[in-house]
Amino acid sequence: MSASRRIVITGSGAVCGAGLTVEAIWDAVVNGRSAIKEISSWDAARWPVRSAAEVTGVDNRTLVEDRKLHKLISRTDLFGLYAAGSAIKNSGVPGHRETLAAEAVAGFNDRSGIFAGSGGGNYSSNYDFFPLLSAAGGDMQKFGRELSENVNPMWLLKILPNNVVCHVGIRHNLKGTNACITNQCAGGALAVAEAVAALRAGEADRAVAVGHDTPFEPETVLHYHRLGLMSPDMLRPFDRERRGTVFGEGAAAVMLETLADARSRKAEILGEFLGSGCTSEATGVLDIRPDGDGLRRAIEIALADAGLAADAVGMVVAHGNGTRASDASEVRALRAVFGSSPPPATGFKWAFGHLIAASGILDLAVTLTALQQGIVPGIATLNALDPELAPLPVSATAQRPRSDIALILCRGFGGMNVALLVRADAMAVS
Amino acid sequence: MNPRRRVAITGIGMVTPVGNDAPTTWANLRAGRSGAAPIACFDASAFSTRIGAEIKNFDAESVIADRKLLKFASRSHRFALAAGEEALRDAGIRPESATRQRWGFSVGAGMMGVAFDELKAVHAHCVRDGEFNPSGLLDPQFPADPVAFCRSQTNAGLALLTRHFGIEGYATAVHTACASGGQAIGTALKVMRRGLTDFMLAGGYDSMLNPLGLSAFCLLGALSTDNDTPERASRPFDATRNGFVLGEGAGFLVLEEWNAARRRGAHIYAELAGDGNSLSSYRITDSHPSGDGPIQAMQQSLADAGLTPEGVDYVNAHGTSTPMNDRSECAALRAVMGGHIERVAVSSTKSCMGHLIAAAGAVEAGVCALAIRDGIAPVNANLAQPDPDCDVNIVRGASRRMRIRAALSNSLGFGGSNSSLAFRHPEEVPAA
Repeated sequence: MSASRRIVITGSGAVCGAGLTVEAIWDAVVNGRSAIKEISSWDAARWPVRSAAEVTGVDNRTLVEDRKLHKLISRTDLFGLYAAGSAIKNSGVPGHRETLAAEAVAGFNDRSGIFAGSGGGNYSSNYDFFPLLSAAGGDMQKFGRELSENVNPMWLLKILPNNVVCHVGIRHNLKGTNACITNQCAGGALAVAEAVAALRAGEADRAVAVGHDTPFEPETVLHYHRLGLMSPDMLRPFDRERRGTVFGEGAAAVMLETLADARSRKAEILGEFLGSGCTSEATGVLDIRPDGDGLRRAIEIALADAGLAADAVGMVVAHGNGTRASDASEVRALRAVFGSSPPPATGFKWAFGHLIAASGILDLAVTLTALQQGIVPGIATLNALDPELAPLPVSATAQRPRSDIALILCRGFGGMNVALLVRADAMAVS
Repeated sequence: MNPRRRVAITGIGMVTPVGNDAPTTWANLRAGRSGAAPIACFDASAFSTRIGAEIKNFDAESVIADRKLLKFASRSHRFALAAGEEALRDAGIRPESATRQRWGFSVGAGMMGVAFDELKAVHAHCVRDGEFNPSGLLDPQFPADPVAFCRSQTNAGLALLTRHFGIEGYATAVHTACASGGQAIGTALKVMRRGLTDFMLAGGYDSMLNPLGLSAFCLLGALSTDNDTPERASRPFDATRNGFVLGEGAGFLVLEEWNAARRRGAHIYAELAGDGNSLSSYRITDSHPSGDGPIQAMQQSLADAGLTPEGVDYVNAHGTSTPMNDRSECAALRAVMGGHIERVAVSSTKSCMGHLIAAAGAVEAGVCALAIRDGIAPVNANLAQPDPDCDVNIVRGASRRMRIRAALSNSLGFGGSNSSLAFRHPEEVPAA
């Protein structure tokens, strides 16, 4: 494939309970430290679920310096702006833009896109109406009359699902093709896939992809728990004792460029994006096929997109959300694709929780470091592999990848499956 | 590279404030009939805006027999199910066991997941003396309804429609405010060109006609307050325009690979020929007075479709009827169309339907396809006093009979996302 169609990653950024940089998050993962702790943002002592990977001790101004903006956006947007800003800065694109002739800058900005996977609305954003509901006491006419005294006039703007697209665009002068994907867990991973598709089709020369979410709030925790999806304490993917998932929060982003552009500006290349696949199982909001067939198809589509055979894959970063059904069907999909010799597999959610819309893209950012270091990190919370899932090459301790190519899996409500393939051999692509 | 795949529109479905199916909607748009009226679905009598363009006399059960599925469907999901069903029936093709993995789904989904009554229940159990106490949720009396939780998920509409219609290929949901529907159809076009699917059900759905949604727009001062004359309230490009009319509804298209549609003898409304997509990066609600942003979207769409302004006969404008949007959109149209601006017919069908937010671009894409089929540019209703700042060739007074070789549909969103779709008359498509 020509250098104009090959797409590389030249910057990344992330924030979650495990750290404020990809390096810090990698350090936690590779050293077996989990950020899952007791819930601190409300008194959860009586709750059936008492743990989460919260982002604590971080000032909002560390995330987004412009204090005026804090009033106009939600917590999830702060994370998204921070991660996208980090990826853009780390890529060196802004510095490169400064070297351009003044008349070339507008065209450069028009060829710079942004693709977000957004968690969309939070329950708590509607809580801004509580003072009005209290004042109105069930009287809709009073509600209408006293609306403007009780609710921030900018309320709608604060809760827009596409705020990160908007404000990253304004702050970094990105004016090209864009999307805000609100496809629950699949959002962040699909943002990467769509950004790559836009670059391959020549619709833009560079694009930042970002996923952000704050699923961790009382109503969501309660509903997930009632549906049997939550672990009361730890997240143990593929373990015999796994009891469900644990929420995290945060964001991750990557800067994607054509190899030709990255080379011509002598950018540092973190990895090459090779392919993606996306399928629906047509099973409704909650159900998933027990045989993993939708995920199998997503992986096979990604391999075909990348022009690779299954045995080229050197490691698998599984979705591994720790629920009984998802982990089991995921292993069936891996077996269907890789037969009796699957590559070493791992998953990261035990370390920073399940970030829903940000999960797939955070896994991607961490995977690039894993490939560069030649380490498949262990699943530190894995005590005993579920015998029904054996044999499966997962381990509590680190393994070695079989090649420089990783497969990243991301699954979500709606029977969604996304598979991403990346290579992180700087020598091979630069 | 293989030659780029061409995409045909072979099915249209609509549930709109002027009709619960596409033929009724199209007839009322041609006649310039308004769907706006005093809001009836809740007591809005003390809001600054008390009018809206509601879906009327809609009976989901007459279209979707699956009662259990409807339980999982919110108001706007029901519109989506009905419009999706109509589009598939109209196309005369639907996912079957041999083809369902080659069917994809792309939707502009509304942003409001939580029903007002559900919020009131949380308030009743968790708020004491103005303080929010989450542990009220653990109260055994709290109606923690898993079905309501499912309805509130951002991709609940995607989940319901892919399940109901059996779509197992690429599926996505997007939300870029008022640009959502256009961007969803643009995404579908690109997914088909990438060869990932051979068929797509693509569209949008939304309903913000509830106390929270109406509050949100009243607070921003974005809505017309002409409460005594609802049918005249939405008047895009009129000098006296004073805001949009909030609508609701859904629109879906069936898209097929061109040659396959031809081979099966499908009726082809139009070619979905191009997609342009830009970000204004100016301000969150304001558009740049110069039209910067929408200009790039329209130019890309034309280039993507292999069109020049010379070949365009009709533009279905975003035309919200807010002072700023319409002025800025006209500036963009002038910049893009150049010497052709006086010839190209422009109208905003929001003058009749109101603003369907995330569904707007999807319904208006269907309107463009129907306009091409029938050779009719639908009227921009309520234009009594043209704004000199909106000096373009607006379809005024009555719908205009004219051959439409190609059309554009603009959707410009809060947050600065701009979508422009291009459509081509089937007879203008060069033979393969």
